[in-house]
Amino acid sequence: MRLGFYPKLAVTGIAKNKKTYVPYILTGIGMVMMFYIVTFLSENSAVGNMRGGESVQGFLSLGIGVIGIFSTMLLFYTNSFLIRRRKKEFGLYNILGMSKGNLSRVIIWESLIIAVTSIVLGLGCGVLFSKAAELLVSRILDSTVGFNFTVDEEALVMTLKWFGVIFSLILLSSLYQVYKSKPVELMKSESVGEKPPKANWLLALVGLVLLGGAYYLAITIQDPITVMLLFFVAVVMVIVATYLLFIAGSVTFCRLLQKNKRYYYKTNHFISLSSMVYRMKRNGAGLASICILSTMVLVMISSTSCLYIGGEDMLRQRYPRNMVLETNVADKEYTAYFHQVIDEELAAHQQREENAIHYRYVSFGGIREDDRIILDESKISASVDFSNYWQIFVIPLEDYNQIMGTSETVAEGEALIYATKTNFKYDEITLDGIGTFHVKNAEEGFVSNKTDSMQIMPSMFLFVPDVTDILNALNEIVVRTGDKGARGMAYIHDYYGFDLACDEQEQTEIYNRIMERVTAEPIMEATGLSAEEVAEQNLSVSFECMAAYRDDYLSLNSGFFALGLILGLVFICGAVLIMYYKQIIEGYEDQSRFEILQKVGMTKKEIKKSINSQVLTVFFAPLIMSGIHMGFAFPLVSKLLMLFGLMNIRLLILVTLGSFGVFALFYILVYLATSRAYYSIVSENNLD
Amino acid sequence: MAILEVNNIKKIYTTRFGANKVQALSDVSFSVEKGEYVAIMGESGSGKTTLLNILAALDRPTSGSVCLDGNELSKIRETKIAEFRRENLGFVFQDFNLLDTFTLKDNIMLPLVLAGKHYGEMRAKLMPIVQKLGIEGLMGKYPYEVSGGQKQRAAVARALITHPKLILADEPTGALDSKSTDELLELFGKINQEGQTILMVTHSVKAASHASRVLFIKDGEVFHQIYRGNSSSEALYQKISDTLTILMTGGERR
Repeated sequence: MRLGFYPKLAVTGIAKNKKTYVPYILTGIGMVMMFYIVTFLSENSAVGNMRGGESVQGFLSLGIGVIGIFSTMLLFYTNSFLIRRRKKEFGLYNILGMSKGNLSRVIIWESLIIAVTSIVLGLGCGVLFSKAAELLVSRILDSTVGFNFTVDEEALVMTLKWFGVIFSLILLSSLYQVYKSKPVELMKSESVGEKPPKANWLLALVGLVLLGGAYYLAITIQDPITVMLLFFVAVVMVIVATYLLFIAGSVTFCRLLQKNKRYYYKTNHFISLSSMVYRMKRNGAGLASICILSTMVLVMISSTSCLYIGGEDMLRQRYPRNMVLETNVADKEYTAYFHQVIDEELAAHQQREENAIHYRYVSFGGIREDDRIILDESKISASVDFSNYWQIFVIPLEDYNQIMGTSETVAEGEALIYATKTNFKYDEITLDGIGTFHVKNAEEGFVSNKTDSMQIMPSMFLFVPDVTDILNALNEIVVRTGDKGARGMAYIHDYYGFDLACDEQEQTEIYNRIMERVTAEPIMEATGLSAEEVAEQNLSVSFECMAAYRDDYLSLNSGFFALGLILGLVFICGAVLIMYYKQIIEGYEDQSRFEILQKVGMTKKEIKKSINSQVLTVFFAPLIMSGIHMGFAFPLVSKLLMLFGLMNIRLLILVTLGSFGVFALFYILVYLATSRAYYSIVSENNLD
Repeated sequence: MAILEVNNIKKIYTTRFGANKVQALSDVSFSVEKGEYVAIMGESGSGKTTLLNILAALDRPTSGSVCLDGNELSKIRETKIAEFRRENLGFVFQDFNLLDTFTLKDNIMLPLVLAGKHYGEMRAKLMPIVQKLGIEGLMGKYPYEVSGGQKQRAAVARALITHPKLILADEPTGALDSKSTDELLELFGKINQEGQTILMVTHSVKAASHASRVLFIKDGEVFHQIYRGNSSSEALYQKISDTLTILMTGGERR
């Protein structure tokens, strides 16, 4: 045998099976490329130097692991399919006199060609597109990068190592499979008689119950804290239920329909239904995986992009004005000092306060029991259920009217009430030890509040003509319980926020100047008290500037978004590939069935129609199912996002629908492409 | 009265790029009377399968005509051909061609379901046929669970259930052991005696010796035919053997 014989055999082997090998190599290239790009981004100093770049890199290094593991699974899955199809050919070679050693050499050459092609082209594309990815990240981070083009050696080596190992393992598993089988088995391995699938009522029922339970959980949980605890429970339930329903439920459903003789023995249903049973048995697990992958992609992309798009919104919730001064003593003389500092610095920069808001508030927490708020610290700390914990703000009605531009009045024993995150549906509200108020709803709401926007628990704003009664009552509670930690709540805080017309850089400068002075001459200066006295009275002041915090705040969201986009892309590629191979397998298996159907008197058109309806069902069942999953997951996701401070439900709805739409479109395109491959296989010698 | 008339059919296959032409059938004419049991014999490559495909309307002849019960096959529109096949022809194949996704019962009822019959009617037709073929106990089984002979009987039941004008059998004993072969040939004889017209293509002298007439095809033409007359199967067997010997040794046309 000449030296070039094995390579030649390997090349023709790949070329002859290009329908299955080309997608495999493409997957290899795609995975290598993604892996390199993500590694490159997480290592590259240019990204690290961007504003917020480091946190993005932190997320991306998580992504490396996910992509690594996912690509291993995907390549193994694909390869097992390829080997199954090739076994007949190998069996023939074996019978024609090639030993298993010879066969191994062919397989080794094939693997070598595939691995080298995948890695070289993948790295090439990776290097080529890494700049584009860098630009994309800089765009997400709202930053700029230079035009220099770099190749990251470390990333290159890491990619080479990782995929070298994967392809070697795949080679070993193929060799093992060929070694352990006999030639006659190799010849036959594709046409092993298949047992008819049996309906498994129990598993189907368990699946239904689990899914129902998960859905019930998803729509009934109201408060975000329980959501956080139960989210993963619900996810696991849905995953298990999806597998059970696709594997057992679908077969059981088909069997049930077959029992109905009138339905089953109809021309349209007869062929489709009986083939569907087998199709679902073979593909149940794959379809469930596709369904779960798509749901994951959708949830991930919609929530991360929602966080990213809504970032500015969330920032505004957190910082209702560009600059916010908060002091926990609403004493005019005391606050006047800080106002003076601000005024001086603004004057120095020739800026004026705009959109100023000013209000005083008393704030404390309590456990809500129906229309009662329990303030007793001992009862609060004894409680394990934090889902009823509420934040209460009491604000003078006068301040409310001034800010909202209204002239609301309340009767004796009445309070204007505004609750965030949940509805308060009672006519009365009792604050334990303080008093009971008739509820008058504040239809217009109120300006957003930092504490409220950062907490997952709901807040209640009470607007009353006079806060001193409440303050006194609170003081009594503090004295009675002797709890030092509770002391902070018995103060009237002063909230002062304003916008500036200048750009953010200048705002940051002004902010830094003011901070220097406020911290250099702190509260002692303002009040004339000693440091001990200040600590004793729990006095504090905070001054915040949105511009100075923006990067820190948004880079988290950007990191999520970048990771979501990249993983979403990888998962979609995986789902597409699995779908493609499913179609191809089906195609080969349907080939012979086609012939028989034609011989017993079905027209080509009828066969095509029947096959089409089955393929459509198989293909779109996961999409529809994941759409339903998404729908039920929506309340959970929206509450989870609340934890991150995203309150804009409308945005979430739009983004979710948008990503589902884009995904569905993509899915249909893939369907059209793969169904063409499918038809070309089944009609190879049948449907001309 | 002739139920099938084949007149001067010719079939030329053209390779994909039109470079080579292969003549599978050059000039075949014969007719089959109602209630007849005809076997067609010939070597591999003699054009048997091509002929059968043309008779089944799965393929069209290059020239010539095929008439089944007065209907010329080439005049039937493409859209009607499947229906025509379903209503007038029954098929029995060498490799059974049962669908592995159906139980035997569903396989047998398949043509009726395709014809849009009611379930009650199907059941009524099913029972007498499966009883006659002795497979009524296997109705809930899947093809992979039963023996070759049982599969072939199910295939025969599927062919018979529409009461076709003609049964086309393509090497029906090819994949069966000798016992099952005997049983199947006996069965064919029985249904033929009940008036069913059968056309069988076969290699097997034994199978052919059960027919009432044997046609021999060589090089795309009908070379010879033998009538059973009053001779027994054994005598016919001998005649066929002799004819085949002549054929093999390149004997001249009679």
